[in-house]
Formats: sequence, C-alpha cells, structure tokens
Amino acid sequence: MTAHLNTKEDLNSEYETLLQFLYIAPVGLIQLKADGEVVMINPLATQLLMPIKPDGDISNFFNTIESVAPELRNICSSFSKKRGQICDALRVQLMADIPGKEDPKILAVSLLKLDADRLMAVISDVTIVVKRERQLQQNEAWFNAIFSGVTDYALMSLNHEGKVEKWNLSIERVSNYKPIEVENKPYSIFFPADTADENRLKDRLAEANTSGWSLLESWCVKSDGSKFWGSSIIAPLEKSIKDSLPQGYSLIIRDISEKQDSVNDILKSFYSDPLTGVQNRRGFYDAANIEFDRFTKRARPLSLLIIDADFFKKINDTYGHHVGDEVLKHLSKTLQQCVRDIDVVGRLGGEEFGVLLPSTDIIVASQIAERMRKSIAEAKLQIDGHEIRYTISIGVSTVNEYVTGVDMLIKIADQALYESKRSGRNRITETIPMASN
Amino acid sequence: MSQLEFSQPNLGEELSKMTDIELDALDFGVTGLDEEGLVTKYNTYLANLSGVSIQKAVGFHYFSNVAPCMNNFMVAQKLEDAIDESKPLDETINYVLSVRMKPTKVKLRLIHDCNLLDSYVLVMT
Repeated sequence: MTAHLNTKEDLNSEYETLLQFLYIAPVGLIQLKADGEVVMINPLATQLLMPIKPDGDISNFFNTIESVAPELRNICSSFSKKRGQICDALRVQLMADIPGKEDPKILAVSLLKLDADRLMAVISDVTIVVKRERQLQQNEAWFNAIFSGVTDYALMSLNHEGKVEKWNLSIERVSNYKPIEVENKPYSIFFPADTADENRLKDRLAEANTSGWSLLESWCVKSDGSKFWGSSIIAPLEKSIKDSLPQGYSLIIRDISEKQDSVNDILKSFYSDPLTGVQNRRGFYDAANIEFDRFTKRARPLSLLIIDADFFKKINDTYGHHVGDEVLKHLSKTLQQCVRDIDVVGRLGGEEFGVLLPSTDIIVASQIAERMRKSIAEAKLQIDGHEIRYTISIGVSTVNEYVTGVDMLIKIADQALYESKRSGRNRITETIPMASN
Repeated sequence: MSQLEFSQPNLGEELSKMTDIELDALDFGVTGLDEEGLVTKYNTYLANLSGVSIQKAVGFHYFSNVAPCMNNFMVAQKLEDAIDESKPLDETINYVLSVRMKPTKVKLRLIHDCNLLDSYVLVMT
C-alpha cells in the first residue's frame, strides 16, 4: 500500500482493505446514538449479539442487551460527564439456548461516550478468561486462608465421617466451645443449622477428596449461637493407601469479619444487582453451576424457581420507573424472606428473578413458590401516595437424570413460567424434566 | 434461461449447473463453499453488497475470514453439522448482517445436498 493516493482505484482498493479489516476484526465494535440506536456495527459484534435476540432485531443496542444486562441503559443515562469511559469490561452473563453448543457464555462490554449523541461499544467474548480467573481466585483464597492472621485460627482434625476428634485451645479462641461440646460432634456445629445439613456436610468431605480441599466463605456460629463471617477449609489428611479414602481431615476456620467488610464491597459490585441487592445474573449462574456440579457428583435434590412480576410494564407505564423500581425491591425482599440462607435469589432480567433451592425436592419447592405467590398477592404497597397491588407467576422445576446443565434447567423452569402466564398469571406451574426435554 | 428466484425449490441443483457469469446476473447473493468451508463461488451481487471483491473472497475460509458474523450456532454450526453428518439441509432464516458496518436485515438460505459438490449460503436483502 502506498502513502500517496492519487487515483480513484487506489482509494477504492484502500476502502476495500479497510472494510475487510473491520469485517474480520476479532473484537466487536458498535457505534450508537444516545438512545441506543445502532449506527455502525462490525460482524463480530453482530455474531455476539444475535443469539441474545432471537427475533434478530439488534437495531437498538440497549433493547438487545436488556434481557441480560438490564442495568446498562441506566448506567449510560446516569453518566453525567460530557465524554469519557462509561464502563470498562462490564461482564454480562448470557444463556445459550442450545445446551452443549460452544457459544459464548460471558461477554465483556466497554462503553465510551464520544459526545452527547455518540457512544462506542466494544464487546468481546471472555468466557475462557473468566474460567481461568476463577481458578486463580480460588488459589489465592486458599493461600490467604493459610498465611495471614494465624492467631485467628481454629485448627482441628476430623475423623473420616467429619466428626471432631479432639478439642484444642484454638477452637475455644475462635468459637468459645468447651471440650465436651465439640469432641466427636459433626463439624456442622460450627455452622448455622439451616446452612449445614448432613448432605452438605458429606458434600464438602467428598469435594475435599476429589479436589484436594474444600474452601468456603460463609456464616459460622460460636457456642452461644452468635454468627460471624468465616472462611473454612477442609483438607484430607494423608492417605495411608493410594486411592483409598482418607482416614481423616483437617479443618481450619478463620474469622474474616473485618476483611469481609472491604471485600464485600468489591464482591458486591461483581455479583449483586445494584437495585435489589440480590445476586445479579452472573452471581446466580455461578451459584447454579456450583450446585449443579454437586448434583452430578452426588445426586441430591436441587430445585429452581423462575419468577416474573405480572403486568410489570403496566406498572411502569402507569406510575413511572421509580414506582416500578420500588416494586422490584419489594419483590426481591419478599422472595428472600421466603427462603433459607443457603438458597440463592437472583435477578435474571428486567422483572424476572430466579431462586435456587439446594437439597429441596419439587414438592417442597412448589410449597415455597406458593408461599411467595400468596405473600405477594396479599401485599399492599404504599409508594409515592399510590396503593400498589401486584401478582407474580412462577415456574418450578427440579434436577433429575435428564437435565444436562444449568441452562437446560433454567429453560424448563422458564417454560413452566410461560405456562403460568398463559393460563392466567398469579399462579405456579411445575414441570418435571423428561427425556423429551 | 429464466431468472432463478431466491425461494424456489431445488435451488442448490440449479445453482450447481450455472457458470460464474450466470451467477453474477442473479439478484441475490450466492456463496459456494467446499467441504472445508473455503469459498468456491462468490457472485457480483455479494461483492457489491459487502464491498469486498471476488479476489479477496474466493479461496478463503468463509466463516473465519470473509463472513465472521455468521460464525455461530445459527448459521456456521448448522451448515458444518450438515456437512460433517452428510445430512441434507435447506433452511431459510431471518438474520442481521453487518453490511459495510450497517446492521442490515436479510434472509439467509443454507443449502447442503450430499449429491452436490458445493454447499451454498444465499443472501437476500
């Protein structure tokens, strides 16, 4: 290529080369107007966005991305500077509609404001990067647990069933337990009763057997019942014979309440929905994947609710977005009140929520769903002088041998939700996965 | 010969009998692909639409180097599966292409017929 362009042919040829450069650029580029209308888009961006919008209408970026990152429109409209970076590599969790196909699961979205009516978006597929990061984080957490603040530790050995073998001073220091209260008791005494059933106890030992350790940050309890935020790691003691199960385990519990406050803020921004405080789509998927992995190793009940506020658009249109937001806050709070600490509530889209119920079969899951439906239907909200009443529809499903992954479970619960909507709303529908799913 | 229509039946067979000059006269885009996914045919309609000339398309891998916007389960995967499993495919889908970086709604028709040398991706704007 020459630097001096004289003839029209030179220009044409250069134009073609430039076009091709953009056609094959391995990163998604979009130029949009302030309202989200797409002005220019390169093929990779099209390829990444098309699967999100089954009807194929990607002419407005915010509408396209709304179902997976509802917060993006607000982030942009509340950006008050004249120009600058609006968000940098914001992670957006997608759901592939076809299980088993290698499609991107996580996108990174960066937005740059050029002027009042011009934005640039850069989109890339970071599925693999995220997977790697997660492994790194786990290693780091492990080293943290081992090396820092040694005096905070309770260190003990467990027998092959997970029972505490012998009391020592470090146990009393962290948990206030006396020898008689811990010896030969299952290690679950250090955790709140509703988060540590017998299944979960065994799960962690099994996890330690297969991956070398089981690490968890969670609520822990002291002998007087008071809670603290702790990090606990279980590692198998040396095996006497190769490939046999270990004779016992070591358990270390550390009080990380202080560290938690600062870490919490960072974690929150990654995993929680800013409006409702529940998990965002990404946090919910992470939790669901962990629970599903547990199911594949040792089959235990795992159920899922997908919940959608009925006629939510009408609430927004009639009373404005502020009232709509208050309704969403009320809904997420009610959902949280209906479940246990170990259950996970997440906001999956605009007014769609998911609730993950480990160690819960479909009968109990439906009872919980019914309780939620009833609480919402009976509630009267006072917002800005309006009395608001609303209802929810719920789809219930559960994991069994036909379910191949989280996406499939969510899809089946989604179909059940659709059935609730179709048959009149304010109701629950349960669907048990079958071979035909 | 009468003009071929984008939606007519047995289009793959008709296209396979046509010369490059005849393909260039069609009013929809035609890409022919061999079983490796390399471009064998690329008509004038497509060259004008995309701004990329035939010299920069023929011989290149279609879904990685020429039309990466179709490199997903909706298009590339479908066609590659049909080629790998020697299954016939003739499907028309609504799609959006980045035509000279403008989002453009099109109809795509994917054709694979085990009796024909090439598979086809057809574009109608």
